[in-house]
Amino acid sequence: MKDTKKIIGQGIDRIDGIMKITGKASYATDYPAKNMAYAVLFKSTIAAGKITRINTAEAEKLPGVIKIITHENAPKLNVKGGLRGGALLQGPEITFHGQHIGMVVAETFEQATAAAHLVQVKYQQDQAEKIDFEKLAKNPEMPKGKELADLVRGAGKAALVNAEVKIEQEYETPIEHHHPMEPHATVAVWEGENLILYNGSQIINGAQTAAAATLNLKPEQVRIISPYIGGGFGSKGGQWANLVLTAVAAKMTSRPVKLALTRQQMFNSVGLRQRNIQKISLGATKDGILTTLAHEIISHTAVDSEYIEPCGDCSKVMYEVPNSLISYRVVPMNIILPTYTRGPGKSTGSFALESAMDELAHQLKMDPIALRIKNEPKKDPSNGKPWSSRTTVKCLEEGAKAFGWEKRKSTPGTNFSGDDLIGYGVACGTYPARQRESSAAIKLSRKSRLVYAVVEIAASDLGTGTNTILAQTAADGLGIPVAQITIKLGDSDLPPAAGSVGSVGASSFANAVNDACNKITDELIAKSGKQFFVRPTASDLMNSENIAAFETQSTSKAPVEAEQYSAHSFNANFAEVSINKNTGMVKVTRFLAVTGAGKILNPKTARSQIIGGNIWGIGMALTEESVIDPRYGNFATRSFADYHVPANLDVGQLDAMFINEVDLIPNKMGVKGIGEVGIVGVAAAIANAVFNAIGKRIRSLPITPDKLLPS
Amino acid sequence: MTPFKFSIAENPSAAIGLLQKNNSAAFLAGGTNILDLMKEHVTNPTEIIDLGRLQLNTIKPTTSGISLGALAKNTETANHPIIRKDYPLLSKAILAGASAQIRNMASNGGNLLQRTRCSYFYDIAMPCNKRVPGSGCAAMEGFNRMHAIFGWSEKCVAVYPSDMAVALSALNASVKVMQQNGNERIIPFGDFHVLPKDHPEKDNSLNFGELITTIDLPKNNFAGHAAYVKVRDRNSYAFALVSVAAGLDLQGNTINQAQIAMGGVAHKPWRALNAEAFLKGKQATKVNFTKAAELEMSAAKPLSHNQFKIEMGKQTLINALEMALKG
Repeated sequence: MKDTKKIIGQGIDRIDGIMKITGKASYATDYPAKNMAYAVLFKSTIAAGKITRINTAEAEKLPGVIKIITHENAPKLNVKGGLRGGALLQGPEITFHGQHIGMVVAETFEQATAAAHLVQVKYQQDQAEKIDFEKLAKNPEMPKGKELADLVRGAGKAALVNAEVKIEQEYETPIEHHHPMEPHATVAVWEGENLILYNGSQIINGAQTAAAATLNLKPEQVRIISPYIGGGFGSKGGQWANLVLTAVAAKMTSRPVKLALTRQQMFNSVGLRQRNIQKISLGATKDGILTTLAHEIISHTAVDSEYIEPCGDCSKVMYEVPNSLISYRVVPMNIILPTYTRGPGKSTGSFALESAMDELAHQLKMDPIALRIKNEPKKDPSNGKPWSSRTTVKCLEEGAKAFGWEKRKSTPGTNFSGDDLIGYGVACGTYPARQRESSAAIKLSRKSRLVYAVVEIAASDLGTGTNTILAQTAADGLGIPVAQITIKLGDSDLPPAAGSVGSVGASSFANAVNDACNKITDELIAKSGKQFFVRPTASDLMNSENIAAFETQSTSKAPVEAEQYSAHSFNANFAEVSINKNTGMVKVTRFLAVTGAGKILNPKTARSQIIGGNIWGIGMALTEESVIDPRYGNFATRSFADYHVPANLDVGQLDAMFINEVDLIPNKMGVKGIGEVGIVGVAAAIANAVFNAIGKRIRSLPITPDKLLPS
Repeated sequence: MTPFKFSIAENPSAAIGLLQKNNSAAFLAGGTNILDLMKEHVTNPTEIIDLGRLQLNTIKPTTSGISLGALAKNTETANHPIIRKDYPLLSKAILAGASAQIRNMASNGGNLLQRTRCSYFYDIAMPCNKRVPGSGCAAMEGFNRMHAIFGWSEKCVAVYPSDMAVALSALNASVKVMQQNGNERIIPFGDFHVLPKDHPEKDNSLNFGELITTIDLPKNNFAGHAAYVKVRDRNSYAFALVSVAAGLDLQGNTINQAQIAMGGVAHKPWRALNAEAFLKGKQATKVNFTKAAELEMSAAKPLSHNQFKIEMGKQTLINALEMALKG
């Protein structure tokens, strides 16, 4: 078959698009259950200490209230079952403001909400609460995680003293929240000792095992159903207490229970991107060859559990530099556990690194693209492995041409358009390309010479188009049109699979489906007992051999050889900003992301995913910030009126380009993943464009108008 | 939200009558703010009186100017041909606020009665004198980047959030209300919203049981020289860090009268009277605009996180006056 006939690589429409826009696609809370009850969580109003008394008498009097569950009557759960963030009602201890301390189950959501408001709680506050990041960050601790130990190459930071040119700056990024369009929600239904959880889950099998372990059940007693997810961005990767508490409420009331977090509760229930202070020290020769790169990071985490996003990751691999240091320090705090958040570490880390590279280019009077190309590493500097492929230079060069980079004025503050100042910025990014073990089943059937396929895999579709790319994969793998393919995913009863996390989804799922298609074709050939000069398709064989139904299952994992290489997606981001000189308001008028991510399975859904990442990057650069009040430990930004995601007017023309590359080293299909890399480097490109526009370097995100006032 | 009774009023006096019977009842017009307040348990009315059937939604010219029905929608008002032609400042200010969806629901009267967006006011775990008099002000020493630089008191540093009202202030509007006894009362716009002083729980000078019926605008001489400039953290659907409504009544290049109000800086639309007085009779030049802006901002008292509003206020005043001059 010629490539032109392949469905993979074509930008076909989402196969579930019509279902979604007509409301027929069922998300977690859309599942009906007879006799449903509704649970509403209530939360602590102190950051540290313990509950001394919970008075539920008034709440219990309200009509419709079935049960109020607190640590005083909740069943004992396994707190080390694999859920994130604690808050499982196992005791009176409070470790963060907004920790779940109980829930009301009632006949209606409204009744449960009203009753939750009437619960009276008395606390003993811990005076040693850790809630002031700025104070605590002055004395950070060593992280517990071994992967976060200091990484020194060559002479480390000490080499900086000899550098001809130096940049030493601190960059700050605030707490951000994922806020997927679909807040976290669960419907729990017990069938005897077995439990069904309808719940948006990025990792279906992970949600299953964590829920089961926490509830002291066997995994096979728990079924996760999650065919559609309204976004997750990491917050639905690991699962949080609300998942299991829904099951607890259902068990204790002997009713199916629905528990949906409110948008306000999303701020302190399902993790966040932590605040980071990053110090970058760059040393270089006068002609722009890097000699030293030190990236020193201070982040906060929870008091009882550690998660630190790896801000130093890009600095490990982006540039050839003989002396380097990556170090992490941590501040345990009484706030909810931070968690994976789109482009974890790389999006925030690249803001620091790529801003510093821009500062260096400016100091050297070099074009920032030329500086990057000059320091391009021939192999992965972090481990000495050869690249499976590296597309940074191509991304930069093709992007520069497409974007019109030559129109950039190298002297900041000199490009005027009426009352606006125009600036151009560039920044690079990367994210590792990996394939994780996944299984898939193919079930073929034939009706009047048409062959139909059902593809089963416990994958998840975050809304990115996983359903569609798997249908395309199966269409090519089986020789039948997409219309004759049904994709079943999002169910833990299906063959186990990796999750939609860390950009492993597309490569893991598509390779699993592709391998299963090859296997079923092999089996059909064997069954026919014939020899073929030209390999027939599974569809041909079903017809020629007159087979009514046939199925198989297989498991795929990354090729062993992949280990010997360093495989990454790479990008170059180009931003044009327009800044009103009177108001300091910034608009990203044009943004171009050029991505080298191997085989692009569907350019249309891929583009959406990349520009989605770009838009969050615009938010990261310009608008998004969650603020904790250092006196109370609560969020002072607590709704979408305070937490600003970009609105349409904040987003100008977005373009996504993909580098045409074939890299079959990381996996057989050559798929590298685009979910995470779409946000990496975006904030830096915008901050660099802001500098180019007005000559003011903003090292603390977000870049709000107050920071751009004439000083 | 706590359970409440839902009543429907057929006319203004019936609405007032229903309210008189229950002093913990509240009127419902567009509902774009009160529903949020109820969901957050900031206000817990036991009865909601729906005003949807009241015939207060007309926008009509009068001998002295134009009259805006209290229940006319923000969108209708902003797009009304007379408003666009003779009161472009109002149209611009309305369109700078909220989102299209909210403006479609929000009423003119309700816009004036929307409450501060101070996040401590909305968080019932926090002290707030506006929500619970006497409980303290969490914003005073807290995260007060969005808060007041003019006219605040030790009791409250919140700002009033409306954009529309900033233009109404500059336009010398007045608010017509129906009193409990059925009589009319006219409140000049400058007296409608109040400073927090010792009673931040009170946003305005309405008495219990009074119902806004119309907002009346006098004719003005600056339709060709008016500007609304709003500085905010994103380009739409964000409250003002600082906003300025400015109208210039010019004779040649001489300013007969400047009418200027600021948003995002105080507990009410802040009429920039010092700047206006300075500009009266002066030439419309950047130098004079700058002097006027500096004069106005010299009285500002910033809090810990909003020092920037002084420079931003100055720049925005100058900018708005320059834009008004350009027309």
